[in-house]
Amino acid sequence: MLNDWFPLWMTLRVALTATAIASIVGLAIAYLLAKGSFRGRALVEAIVTLPIVIPPTVMGYFLLTSLGANSTFGRVWENITGSAIVFTPTAAVIAATVAALPFVVRASRAAIEEVDDRAEAAMRVAGHPEWKVAALVTFPLARRGILAGVALAGARALGEFGATVMIAGNIPGRTQTLPIAVYDAVQAGDIAQARNGSLLLVGIAIAALVAMTMLSKRRT
Amino acid sequence: MTRTTARTRSWCTRLAKSRWARVWVTATVGVVGLSGCGDGLASPDDAGTSKVLIAAASDLRFAFTEVGKQFAESTGVTPTFTFGSSGQLKEQIINGAPFDVFASANEQFVLDVVAAQRGLTQTVQTYGWGRIVMRSRPGREVPTSIADLVRADITRIAIANPAHAPYGIAAREALQAAGIYTQVQPKLIFGDNVSDALRLVETGNVDVAIVALSLVVLEDELYEMIPENLHSPLRQAIVVTTTGDNQNNAHKFVEFVMSDRGRRVMASYGFVVPEEDQ
Repeated sequence: MLNDWFPLWMTLRVALTATAIASIVGLAIAYLLAKGSFRGRALVEAIVTLPIVIPPTVMGYFLLTSLGANSTFGRVWENITGSAIVFTPTAAVIAATVAALPFVVRASRAAIEEVDDRAEAAMRVAGHPEWKVAALVTFPLARRGILAGVALAGARALGEFGATVMIAGNIPGRTQTLPIAVYDAVQAGDIAQARNGSLLLVGIAIAALVAMTMLSKRRT
Repeated sequence: MTRTTARTRSWCTRLAKSRWARVWVTATVGVVGLSGCGDGLASPDDAGTSKVLIAAASDLRFAFTEVGKQFAESTGVTPTFTFGSSGQLKEQIINGAPFDVFASANEQFVLDVVAAQRGLTQTVQTYGWGRIVMRSRPGREVPTSIADLVRADITRIAIANPAHAPYGIAAREALQAAGIYTQVQPKLIFGDNVSDALRLVETGNVDVAIVALSLVVLEDELYEMIPENLHSPLRQAIVVTTTGDNQNNAHKFVEFVMSDRGRRVMASYGFVVPEEDQ
């Protein structure tokens, strides 16, 4: 079906890793935004949401200038590890994570804010520490919203193209994800490969979204 | 004491019973597992000694695929190609992209890479001169002269983006030299690179495209050469870059491109190749 299966594994690996990181970090940010009251909360939320609003190419440009070999971070990284962080699978994970993060944050924040205060208050009255209140009451009650955010984040990570092609490049067998392989196949005039890759991506996305929907319904 | 144990147990039981928790555990294990086995695919060791990563201008897509096949047969080293516009590839290499060789569609971008200390100056060589041609969408007659592009029945013309693609720059120069640039400008559509411009015309989305001879020379479709005095020469240069892990193979690949065998392939794709003792 595909001449080369690497892009599929690369895509799954990047999307899953990015979704996992975005879920954990995003949930923490969402919790802080929903519960915390600190200066600059609106600004934090705006910055976290930015990747949804700006074009992926602009995001790619920012990432390239902040992580690239000519940036301060890039130079320090190259001195320590001996190679650049851009144009590696890690760079693809960074791009997908940044793109996926806002979906977790926005959906989870709304869900956490909707949790009934009284349920949380009851836990506090019983003397439970705040982390336990969050783990046993807040997150479980907000799970549907959180799951919806994670599903969207996964879908976004799976299809990330613009920023990835800029900071991870299009290196077959190294950083080429399936969306980039499809683009490359179209450019090469290889319509069969482009079609197969596209169908595969659509299939994975539908399967993942259906699974997520069923999962969030079964636990009610 | 007993109370604490009981509470801990109920907490654990609840966690174990919750499908939500199981999903998380499965997902985490899955991700960790996948990342683990994925690392083998992408670590630098796997680049080993039998590989070489080549960043090549889009006009080389077919010619270098053939050169690469013969190179692999004669040396056992498998080249991996990334094709794109020379300007974009140059930017990637300057930003540390791990390529071993950079084959540009012009000489300037190679010199830029050397100036950024990402290329070995003694390895810079001209491997060929390119030509531009006009191609029509399927089933349509090819214009016989570049001046025909002003005709009303030609509504869209694709060229590579002149901002970063040498073949786009050459196309724009030719339109300017023919004195029709301002007239055809509203019809122009920029492809990402020269093979993108070809894709636009092959799929019938534009009427005419100005593309590289090397991309169409072995196809059945007709094309029309654009006189080479209408644009500055597409002097294409190659360099061994310092960003990659396979420098020995990089030297071998450049040698192969410049060898009799390599030059023969390049000539068959319409490149004017340098004389033996350049």
